[in-house]
Amino acid sequence: MSIFRQIIYKGYVLLLMAFTIWYGSFMYFLIFGFEGKEKAAASIEALFSGEVAVPEEDLTEEERMFEQLLREQGARSETDLGFKVVDQPFIEGRFHHVGFRIQKDKASMCVRCHGNVPHNESKELRSFLNMHAFYLACEACHARTEEGEPAWEFGWYNKDNGDIVSNPVALVDIEEIYTSENADDIYPTYGNYGAKIAPGRQEGGEFKVLHGPKEIAFVEKYTEQQERLQPEKKSQMKTVIHRKVASEPVECDLCHTEEDPYFSFEELGYPPTRARELTNTAVVGMIRKYNEFYIPNFLSPGGQEKSEKE
Amino acid sequence: MGNIRLITTIVSVASFVFFSFITLNVQAAEDLNCFICHKHRGLSRIDENGDFRLFYINKELFDSGPHRRNKCKDCHTDVDRIPHDPAEKIDCTKECHITEPSSELKYSHQNVADILAQSVHSKLDADGNPKEYQEDYPGCKDCHEQPMYRPFSLYKGKKEPGVAPRGLSRCKGCHTEGDFAEDFYEHVTSRMHKTRLPIETIDLCAKCHEDPELIERHDMHDAVETYKETFHGKLVLMGSEKTPDCIDCHVIVGENTHLIEPQNALSSAVHKNNLSTTCRTSDCHSSASDRLSEFRVHVTYEMEEYPMEFYMLMFFKSLMVIVLYFFLIIIFFELMRRLFPNFAFFKDKNPDSTPVVPETKQ
Amino acid sequence: MAAYEPIIVKNGKRYFYRFSAHQRIQHVILFTSVIILALTGFPLRHTDEAWSKPLYDFFGGPDLAPTIHRLAGTVLLVLFVYHTLYWLVLFIQRSIIPLYREGRLNPWTALQAFGGQVMIPNGNDGRDLVDTFKFLFYISNKPSRSYTMSWREKFDYFAVYWGIPVIGPAGAVLWWRDEISHIVPGWVLNGAYIMHTDESLLAVLFLFFVHWYNVHYAPEKFPGATVWLSGYLSEPEMMHEHYSEYVQQMTEAGLAAEIKKQHFGV
Repeated sequence: MSIFRQIIYKGYVLLLMAFTIWYGSFMYFLIFGFEGKEKAAASIEALFSGEVAVPEEDLTEEERMFEQLLREQGARSETDLGFKVVDQPFIEGRFHHVGFRIQKDKASMCVRCHGNVPHNESKELRSFLNMHAFYLACEACHARTEEGEPAWEFGWYNKDNGDIVSNPVALVDIEEIYTSENADDIYPTYGNYGAKIAPGRQEGGEFKVLHGPKEIAFVEKYTEQQERLQPEKKSQMKTVIHRKVASEPVECDLCHTEEDPYFSFEELGYPPTRARELTNTAVVGMIRKYNEFYIPNFLSPGGQEKSEKE
Repeated sequence: MGNIRLITTIVSVASFVFFSFITLNVQAAEDLNCFICHKHRGLSRIDENGDFRLFYINKELFDSGPHRRNKCKDCHTDVDRIPHDPAEKIDCTKECHITEPSSELKYSHQNVADILAQSVHSKLDADGNPKEYQEDYPGCKDCHEQPMYRPFSLYKGKKEPGVAPRGLSRCKGCHTEGDFAEDFYEHVTSRMHKTRLPIETIDLCAKCHEDPELIERHDMHDAVETYKETFHGKLVLMGSEKTPDCIDCHVIVGENTHLIEPQNALSSAVHKNNLSTTCRTSDCHSSASDRLSEFRVHVTYEMEEYPMEFYMLMFFKSLMVIVLYFFLIIIFFELMRRLFPNFAFFKDKNPDSTPVVPETKQ
Repeated sequence: MAAYEPIIVKNGKRYFYRFSAHQRIQHVILFTSVIILALTGFPLRHTDEAWSKPLYDFFGGPDLAPTIHRLAGTVLLVLFVYHTLYWLVLFIQRSIIPLYREGRLNPWTALQAFGGQVMIPNGNDGRDLVDTFKFLFYISNKPSRSYTMSWREKFDYFAVYWGIPVIGPAGAVLWWRDEISHIVPGWVLNGAYIMHTDESLLAVLFLFFVHWYNVHYAPEKFPGATVWLSGYLSEPEMMHEHYSEYVQQMTEAGLAAEIKKQHFGV
């Protein structure tokens, strides 16, 4: 028999031996996997040792809350109506159906640490601000131009890969629903554009967002290495990362206004009806009402948060 | 839909005529359209307990359930202006503006709450005293999400999900106004079968009955886990709709589904005197004898409680271990032997010496 | 039964007769039904695995798969009864009737004849077992020399022959639960459930490893033995597994001079 055949033969035998060992461990879990029958497992233990081990858990409330949150990660709720399946994330205590899965913003460097529900300080405003975080990049409000710098330009980036995209189709759909005859029977989706508005500048004839791939790579490097960074290096790097963050965010009525808005809805591809809606009557009216009657600091969220802190 | 808007408008105009200015201001919440904000998917925050609170309302899904005739304010009664403060918890037993047709009274879920109070899930014990660990007992929202209709059509013996245009057209002949026919069609057909798939019911019960903390605190059995080990449970997990879920066995036929009674209650569906009736309903094991109910559904394989099951399990496990590992070891060593085919500690000088004895053949 | 050549030569290689067409058909029915049973049964046994639902749906889901499972189970049970009858007929034809004709039929000779059956374990198997272990643990350099059926094949055979009467009736009880409940109480179903599910695991783990090792994975068999199709065993396989039988058949065929030496490995 040739050496070559001999090698193949022995190699195959070794492979089979490894397979045998794998099969032995695979079998073990099949035979003794009680599929949740812990009590039977405890009974076996008792049969051989004479005593039953009771697992002891002594967690503080915070620990328990934390464990619970970790457990809920990825939990789903599915309702099968026969003609349609409603698939959504499981949200504790939620009564109304959401009917969609929240899309991750993989292209934002801020979301990596701050999450996508970052606003929590101003009680009256946090939900509104988080709502805007769904289609506005953090920098859109939190990065202001320095004195002497030209104003930002604005564009859309894809939440999935960070590519610069034109105005989302969903926006155009909304316009079509508005103008269609049976508008009452169609349910438009707001704020779910798969893209976000972000500030940036024209570079070499191309629009580039303020926090592009370079900045994201930097944040990635930081999050990877922060374990082994010296504490003061950490602070230094964090300062650099947040260099563009302005102390005072952009106020509501800077955008929701007809006269010289912070960015132009039309230029971002908002269809005329929707753009009008955002810059006059409904939205602006509500902001005014809020400002006048309920929360005097409504228009300047930064100021509000500061006053709360004091 | 258009008609609902029309009715809404008529109602608002009527309100304007009949009620004072202040009332109108309260009404304003409805007219101002809650969806100006709540249509946005991102309307959300994290609350003090770390819970994610999403305030988005999916109008399309809301409109496919029985609550679609209610306005937001019917339930969220404390919201009287826009923008509003954090809303209070909902009381489902509150009367809402809808009229219950049979009694012509204002509709409320009080009936269901009363039935739930008689069940094992009641927050009060038999003497009316609060039970221990009040917060563990379920309220409406612990089991119910915003309900949605699950209509079906039955045409020439074929059951299909969704609204049947053929069926609906028959209603529409007489009931021409508004969405009345659609509402009734969906309402009635949803009630003619289970509005929840068995697997959804199991998952629902499992939220508490599979929670080790709750099981320990209330000294319960591993009801869901053990159910999943039965053929009922297994078929349900495979998506069967015909197999019984928790409610089918734990509620007496004809009773309201909220009336789940403890095993020791005389009227309970799982009391040992009633068990055989429960198993032998016309939809299930109708041809079985009453001794079928001696089948044990929730087998935990504990030595004391289920000795037969435990020792049978042990027997088969031991058999498996002995047989399988015996051959596994033989195969392993045989394979290893192939690596060193000619090695041996004690070599037979003449390995062919064993006489070959002819065997008598059949 | 059709006449057969004990040794045939094809392309210069010798092949040894082993299974009749009748037996091969029984084997095909056996493994077809067992594979179908395993495929329609195991999704239920392991509902929490990712593969269980797609596999079950492939067989028609809860509406159809149980029927397929029961059909295959019926086939297997019928085959079991048939095989027992088949063996009995052969036993009576070949052992009891000749004994009766010779006038030597009594309980003792009948028992002896039974013990002489090719599948019944006997003293040779004990010797082979000892030889096997001595060889495997490097105590001797002489592989075991089996006759027509090695002890491993006999174990394979009786594993199935014990398994079917355990799984089958338990499955039948679970199938006809309503009717059976008039005879036995419901807790018998609990026992039947354990018998059915755990014995099935044993059977499947055994078949897919031990049996498949013997006929598929083993180096001289890979990717698969052909004896179940042709009924004939090749010379290397014959020498490896049934050396005594090999020597005997060669001698009977007048080929004693061409008997090769026993070896192990390729």
